[in-house]
Amino acid sequence: MAIARKTSRASKAPKKSIAAASAAKPEEISTAISPRSISIFILFGFLFGYFLSKARATSYDAIVDMFMLKEFQLYGVLGVAILVVAAGLFLTHRFKKPTLSGAALDWKLLKFEPKRLIGALLFGAGWALAGATPATVLTQLGEGKVFAVFTVAGIFVGVWAFQKWKPKDSSGNNC
Amino acid sequence: MFLRFLNQTGLILFVSGWHWLAAGLGLGLTALGLAWFTGKRLGVTGGFADACSAVTKSGSSSGWKIWFLVGLPLGGLVSTIGNWSWTLAYGQFDALTYGDIWYKAIGLFLCGILIGFSARWAGGCTSGNTIMGVALGSKLAVLATLAFLAAGILVTNILFKAVM
Repeated sequence: MAIARKTSRASKAPKKSIAAASAAKPEEISTAISPRSISIFILFGFLFGYFLSKARATSYDAIVDMFMLKEFQLYGVLGVAILVVAAGLFLTHRFKKPTLSGAALDWKLLKFEPKRLIGALLFGAGWALAGATPATVLTQLGEGKVFAVFTVAGIFVGVWAFQKWKPKDSSGNNC
Repeated sequence: MFLRFLNQTGLILFVSGWHWLAAGLGLGLTALGLAWFTGKRLGVTGGFADACSAVTKSGSSSGWKIWFLVGLPLGGLVSTIGNWSWTLAYGQFDALTYGDIWYKAIGLFLCGILIGFSARWAGGCTSGNTIMGVALGSKLAVLATLAFLAAGILVTNILFKAVM
């Protein structure tokens, strides 16, 4: 919580300059990404997929064993990942350099609303039944798990349907 | 000796799974690196949403998440490239679907709809809520993560204990 508050306080200054820049330039600029940053994002996606696969988060059986409380593996993975991110963000804010360029992280956290927990319960059920989450299902595709294609197609439909149903709740997402 | 070392390294890098400490460290550092180098916050469901907006031509996001999504299958490919092969397997679920490919295809498609729809509803998926959200101390993310796990444990236990 402390980090989040610090983030929003620290981000006030750069937010102004971003607003000024977008006011001066037409909309199109915001959708253009340079080839260099495209390759950086692909690289991070690659690393994330690689480690998800190494964590066995893409294994149908590992997910069953996790939810049957037979194996600690995936709980350990999630716990360590959370701790590493929390510690890293704490340190980078501590040394007042949250990013390489020194700019603040302009992240807004979603406010808690009880109705979102209905979605969370449904997501847990979907995770258990499909043996996949939006990140692991794409990694499963790369591993050659053919049936992940159908899950991916379904996710597109589901995301699109929610956008149609509740466009307001769909924007400013944590994800 | 040297060849054996190479072989071992190859197995670790391109075939086998890792201990949770090593894999968790890798995932955490990737999320941190994304924040440090690009200032972006990890979130995968948003990438699906951006891709939808790009197709339907609504919304005005920068679309960096779509490129992140492109990298994910590549990671899965390289991680298993040492003994990579196509597979129709669905793990322990194969027993539930009688190994029938139509049950599997339609079932997974419906599950996909459920996942996509509910991930937006919950405000994020396992990457945005569980890893980034909890690390940032968001109340929504912590409660959503507990709900993910509770529902997952309940559904799996019903399936594998009561149904089978």
